[in-house]
Amino acid sequence: MPTLVSVFDLPDDAATAIRKLRGRGFEDIESYSPAPFEQIDEAMDPRPSKVRAFTLVGGLTGVFTGFLMQIWMSLEWPIKIAGKAYTSIPPYVIIGFELTILFGGILTLIGLLLVGRLYPRPLDAAYSPRFSAEEFGVVVKVGERDVAEVDGLLRSLSAKEVSLLDD
Amino acid sequence: MTPPPATAVADLMRPKSIPRDSQINTDVMSVTKGVSWQWGLLLALALLGVGQAIFTLGYQTYKGLGIAGYQAPVFWGVYIINFVFWIGIGHAGTLISAILFLFRAKWRNAINRGAEAMTVFAVLTAALFPLIHIGRLWKFYFLIPYPNQRALWVNFKSPLLWDVFAINTYMLISIIFFFVGLIPDIAIARDRATGIKKFVYTVLALGWQGTGRQWKAHNRTVLHLAGLATPLVLSVHSVVSWDFAMSIVPGWHATIFAPYFVAGAIFGGFAMVLVVMIPVRRIFKLEAYITDYHFENMSRFILFTSLICGYAYGAEYFIAWYSGVEFEQTSFWLRAFGPYWLSTWIMISCNVIFPQLLWIKRLRTSVPFLFVLCVLINIGMWFERYVIIITSLSREYVPAAWGLYIPSIAELSILAGSFCWFSMFFLLFLKFLPIIAIAEMKELIIHEKAHAAHASGVEAH
Repeated sequence: MPTLVSVFDLPDDAATAIRKLRGRGFEDIESYSPAPFEQIDEAMDPRPSKVRAFTLVGGLTGVFTGFLMQIWMSLEWPIKIAGKAYTSIPPYVIIGFELTILFGGILTLIGLLLVGRLYPRPLDAAYSPRFSAEEFGVVVKVGERDVAEVDGLLRSLSAKEVSLLDD
Repeated sequence: MTPPPATAVADLMRPKSIPRDSQINTDVMSVTKGVSWQWGLLLALALLGVGQAIFTLGYQTYKGLGIAGYQAPVFWGVYIINFVFWIGIGHAGTLISAILFLFRAKWRNAINRGAEAMTVFAVLTAALFPLIHIGRLWKFYFLIPYPNQRALWVNFKSPLLWDVFAINTYMLISIIFFFVGLIPDIAIARDRATGIKKFVYTVLALGWQGTGRQWKAHNRTVLHLAGLATPLVLSVHSVVSWDFAMSIVPGWHATIFAPYFVAGAIFGGFAMVLVVMIPVRRIFKLEAYITDYHFENMSRFILFTSLICGYAYGAEYFIAWYSGVEFEQTSFWLRAFGPYWLSTWIMISCNVIFPQLLWIKRLRTSVPFLFVLCVLINIGMWFERYVIIITSLSREYVPAAWGLYIPSIAELSILAGSFCWFSMFFLLFLKFLPIIAIAEMKELIIHEKAHAAHASGVEAH
């Protein structure tokens, strides 16, 4: 399937192009951006990132781990300290809190790696170092007979370059 | 239109060199290129300092803690002071990267990478000191709750144990935050590197390409990490302060300690950011990115936190007097006019009196003045911990048990080593990773470009 690679100078133009392509029914679109721009991310996928679920699960795991660990360990060999109850909740809040943050943070990182598909792997054929400079790329897979039409569309949306990548 | 042959396009799309690279990529990555003799000399000095400290530590491990200047009743000395000092230094980085991020203070973009790096290195320095302080290095694992044949567990009601959890959490979260922010910038470095460097950057960049999906996940991750790090940074120095405040030592037993320590940490940390960034900006000619505006904003923070410190010093003295507790009153009287009067007055002048000069705009915007002031503030903050720890311990309840503590050569050697250890990390960081968060700065640059294009109607073609 032919892949069209278009290059934009401004994030708004790239976002418009993605939206127009979606409107025409092209689903296999990828965007490359040198910096975070909400309009592009929204045009690509308006749903919030799934990373947030990871943070929630991590935080909840942390808070339960923290409290249960302390309660279990202090009951496993009960020693009276300063005349307080074996399991006094107020001092346990500190470590419960720290573990909430710790587990939440680690799971958030794992979420980023999984959701963003970040692991050492070959880069996409359409990716180019220019997209880590200051240009935006919109890459779309189209049928053979749509090439000319989409090419025209992208150029009309102020793409400064459109080229074909065959794979 | 007839599309060109695919092979030609593929060549076109992946040029050997990037014809028109972004200015900021070139400017910031040029910091990592080439090694000057001055850098080599500084690194050699830093390694020398670390080496002599490792030697001292080895000797101390062999001889025992007797070679430190401990004198009954003072058994917390320079090692604990260093621990609190370095942990505090780290706080500024988290404040800049997390709290100012949540407040959408865009000016942080230019300095946040340097400050975050500083946080990581400062915490890596601080984390060594509890181990150095316990003397028997090989028993540090007693601090960790782990199943053992004695079935004994650690004391979860002790602030010292809270500290173990707080510091380790802080260290890991700082490293995660630092690394997540670096991923897009490592990808920039990867796209421009060759040879072995390219291989290392490729592995570290984890296949980052800046796709919509990746940026969306990245934004969300940074937001959540900032949300987690904000209460964390406040908790870490609070927990450190409770190491003192939970005891009944006169001079330590104060409820103001947590906010007082946090403000002091941010104060000292911002000063350290400036001490590091002022020379870096000058040497690597980054004036276009780190501007005087950033330095002025930082100096406002320094002034504000200095006022909080001044308030806390005043409140401590007031409460000592107002409480009517003779031990507190004596402790604070001796703090200012006893054998340690010099350290107390260094602390008050460097942390409260000198920073008041920042009210004057001409001084606030003078970079050499800021540099000198920040060096003084760091000295003052080190002495603040000296005053809190040493004067309080040396003058407890029973005058018969009063003592005098003077740091020994061994402790000063490890103190010097800690600065060298920190500098070593920072010098290596300068040559391997971008000192400015390029992608975040680019966001602003492209925004301006889009704005200009919009204003001139260029986008209409």
